[in-house]
Amino acid sequence: MKNLIVTLLFLLTSFLGLGQSVSAPDSKSFLPSTSGQDASGFSLSGFNSTATLLASISLVNPPTGTTFNLTTTIGLTAASGFTLAGNKTRLVVTGTMANINTALASLKVNTGSVRGNIALSVAATINPTGFFYNGTNGHFYRPVTATNERTTYTNARARSLLTTFKGQTGYLVTITSADEDAFIFANVPATNVWFAATDEVIDGRWVIDAGPEKGTVMKTQNGQLNGNIAGVYNNWAWGEPNGANGSENYAVAKWNGAASWNDLSNNWNNPYVIEYGTWTNPDDATFTEFYTNSVTHTNGDVLTARFNIDFGNNVDKSKFSVKANTYTNNAWSVTTNTPRLISGLGKVDMTSDLDTVKVSSGDTRATTTGGQVEWCVVYDYEPQNQRYQILIDKREFPQGTSPSGVTNLQLFDLWNGPVTYQWDDGTWAAYWIYTPTEFNFVGSSFTSNIRRAGFFWGLSAEFTFIPNTMFKQHGIDLLYTNQTELNTLYNSIVSVSDVFLAFKELSNRGIFGNESGNEFGHGIQYMNADVDGNGIFNEADTYRLLQHLTGVQSLTEYSTLTYLMKLYSKSDYDAITKSNWSTQFNSTRSLLPFSLNTGTLNNTYNVSATWVGDVNLSHSATPIVTNVVASNSTRSSFSMSIPNEINASIITEIIGDSVYAYITIDPLKQELVGTQFKLNYDNSLLKFSSVSHKTKGSPTNYGTDRGNYINFGSLITDGGVLDNTTEYKITFRPQTKLDNVLGLISIGFTDAVNKAGSTLKIRIK
Amino acid sequence: MKKLLFVLLLIGCTKTVPITPTPPINRDIFSVSQSSVSNGTEIVFSLKADGIYTLTMGDTVTNQVVTRERFKGKAGENKLKIYTKTLPVKYLYLILEDTSKTKIGKTTITVN
Repeated sequence: MKNLIVTLLFLLTSFLGLGQSVSAPDSKSFLPSTSGQDASGFSLSGFNSTATLLASISLVNPPTGTTFNLTTTIGLTAASGFTLAGNKTRLVVTGTMANINTALASLKVNTGSVRGNIALSVAATINPTGFFYNGTNGHFYRPVTATNERTTYTNARARSLLTTFKGQTGYLVTITSADEDAFIFANVPATNVWFAATDEVIDGRWVIDAGPEKGTVMKTQNGQLNGNIAGVYNNWAWGEPNGANGSENYAVAKWNGAASWNDLSNNWNNPYVIEYGTWTNPDDATFTEFYTNSVTHTNGDVLTARFNIDFGNNVDKSKFSVKANTYTNNAWSVTTNTPRLISGLGKVDMTSDLDTVKVSSGDTRATTTGGQVEWCVVYDYEPQNQRYQILIDKREFPQGTSPSGVTNLQLFDLWNGPVTYQWDDGTWAAYWIYTPTEFNFVGSSFTSNIRRAGFFWGLSAEFTFIPNTMFKQHGIDLLYTNQTELNTLYNSIVSVSDVFLAFKELSNRGIFGNESGNEFGHGIQYMNADVDGNGIFNEADTYRLLQHLTGVQSLTEYSTLTYLMKLYSKSDYDAITKSNWSTQFNSTRSLLPFSLNTGTLNNTYNVSATWVGDVNLSHSATPIVTNVVASNSTRSSFSMSIPNEINASIITEIIGDSVYAYITIDPLKQELVGTQFKLNYDNSLLKFSSVSHKTKGSPTNYGTDRGNYINFGSLITDGGVLDNTTEYKITFRPQTKLDNVLGLISIGFTDAVNKAGSTLKIRIK
Repeated sequence: MKKLLFVLLLIGCTKTVPITPTPPINRDIFSVSQSSVSNGTEIVFSLKADGIYTLTMGDTVTNQVVTRERFKGKAGENKLKIYTKTLPVKYLYLILEDTSKTKIGKTTITVN
């Protein structure tokens, strides 16, 4: 009995057309000059699933350059005057509700540079058999062609006025444009079709005889072109109208099957067409049972991507520039070839270089509307697991849509969120919905589509599957002014201070190597000291650092930025600790991936830069979180600043056939353990000969010719210090005779470190 | 005559390599507060006595010494060539001292 009542109610509501609606998405912001932006969210519901619907999609007074398109049009037919493919501002289609919903889910908006409101309107109605919709003017047409309905002109004119359709009174069709003429020609399966034009009052003076244009004079004389009124549509056959026999006062289209007109007497029983609609703008349509909804989006906002790149205090940020990249087909490619300079504050705006065309994310979102068939089952809630199991009939999945790819589901007004694929047995696809809250089946507005059956709920739902889209993976690629300057910079980044600090950290781990280091204050220092990148900071790394310092072997095989620099998001960088560093990403890279957020227009990215071998972080971002391990052992006063100084002096002279440079050290009160000098020389006039070191104790003394400079100095790691007797003598051979010259040799980069591991400034006195 | 024409032709076909010698600074460099130099510019200055002198060039911004040359000077006019390829900065001070570190002259130079 209850089922009978439900069935009767369903039939009643269907008959009355209750529950039919068009839902619209929330308003959103589109990007200017961007194609393929997601405009889905319109959905038809409540219509008979087997009925042919007419749907109109319109942009109402859009900004110049704005169009829309449907990427899926399966099962749709374009109404007269429209084509399914291409970008447009209005489209009228016919199809089932499911097909139209699938198409609406693929609705994309293409914007131009002109900004403004983008009003999207969708209208839908049942399109009964025998009625044809002309999307150009928004009118419906009903051809009357059955043999027993064919009649005289005056009868046709009178009978048309007795009909109504969707609240509009009919009238004998008027043909006021070539477009409308072609529409009649295409859609009326008959010839000699009466339409509302007559000269019954004054012979040869043809007027429109019905509808909103009634009384409009079409022409003033008989004859194909004679007396035609400019601006009023006429399409008479050759020699017509001729008013033959003095009684041919009424017009027919499709005369003898041709596309032109003739005049006939009222003795003819002809087919005719009833027209419904009294307006010229389709958007003014006032049909009843025409369900509409609209949303006004905007085209006024710009997706931005701004970067704050922290290089630390000792790097000239303005030497860097960046290019935006996207990752497609397993490769990075630049979006714009022109690099953008980084400001002196480390800021750069990449907004203009973004690629905002969305691509498939590989997964699918399912949405539902009320339907006639229970394609979905929801099993009772599992409170212990806080989840529902739902089954979707496999027949609802279009070909090519994989059930395992569905990651998100809008299920009536019960659930709108993620789902977890469980299994697919060929008949059903099963998913988990994890939620701490039970669905409100009883309070749902779709109760007529929900049936309680024992331990599950049957849902009469039609599914639409929409591929999720996302922005392409982006990245910023840092570039440096030129390779020569980068080499100079990197030589100052990894210096004697870094090497000594690494040695000091390592020695403080104790003879068994299992004590916590207490020299490094940050996890990133371990990562930078772990120069072989194996997740362990040990003797091999300090040896490599020493080799780099002394010029035996560079830290990296290549000296381009990609092999020297490490980039992190600031959050990742600050999250590196002394205990987790070995599990963090520790590879050099000058390209940092970043993601554009779909729901966020203004994106700001904070980036931290560091370098392989920059153990003391002298040229790196300072991590916010310090992870200093409390220790009873003596902790050095490590600092990123350069608080201390020592003195040095240089003197050069030409003696005989040699040029000498002497550098002497005065450590002042510092316990000096490491020195490093870069002595530039003019290699077009001088040839390097030797470096001699005068040092006490047993330091590692080094001196390497790098072509146009000598890198030399000392490093003591056995507890001794360098005193004021320390002297370096560098000898060159002139390539030509030199006498009284200045500037062939000069001091470049210098570095020094004390026993505590602090970097010292060398003042050349 | 044929040989003369050949020589003239040869001269006419020889590419002319323009020579742009660096003009010397004829006046005493320490008599002015500032001079411009380029690689190989010869500077002139006067000394009162023979002896060992030093010329020091330093960064006018950081005050760091960039290079210092010890040389034998003679009484009267002395000439010295400045090479700029290795100099790390553009604006430098130049100081002339004797062995007792008495400052004899000071000026600034700009490297072109």
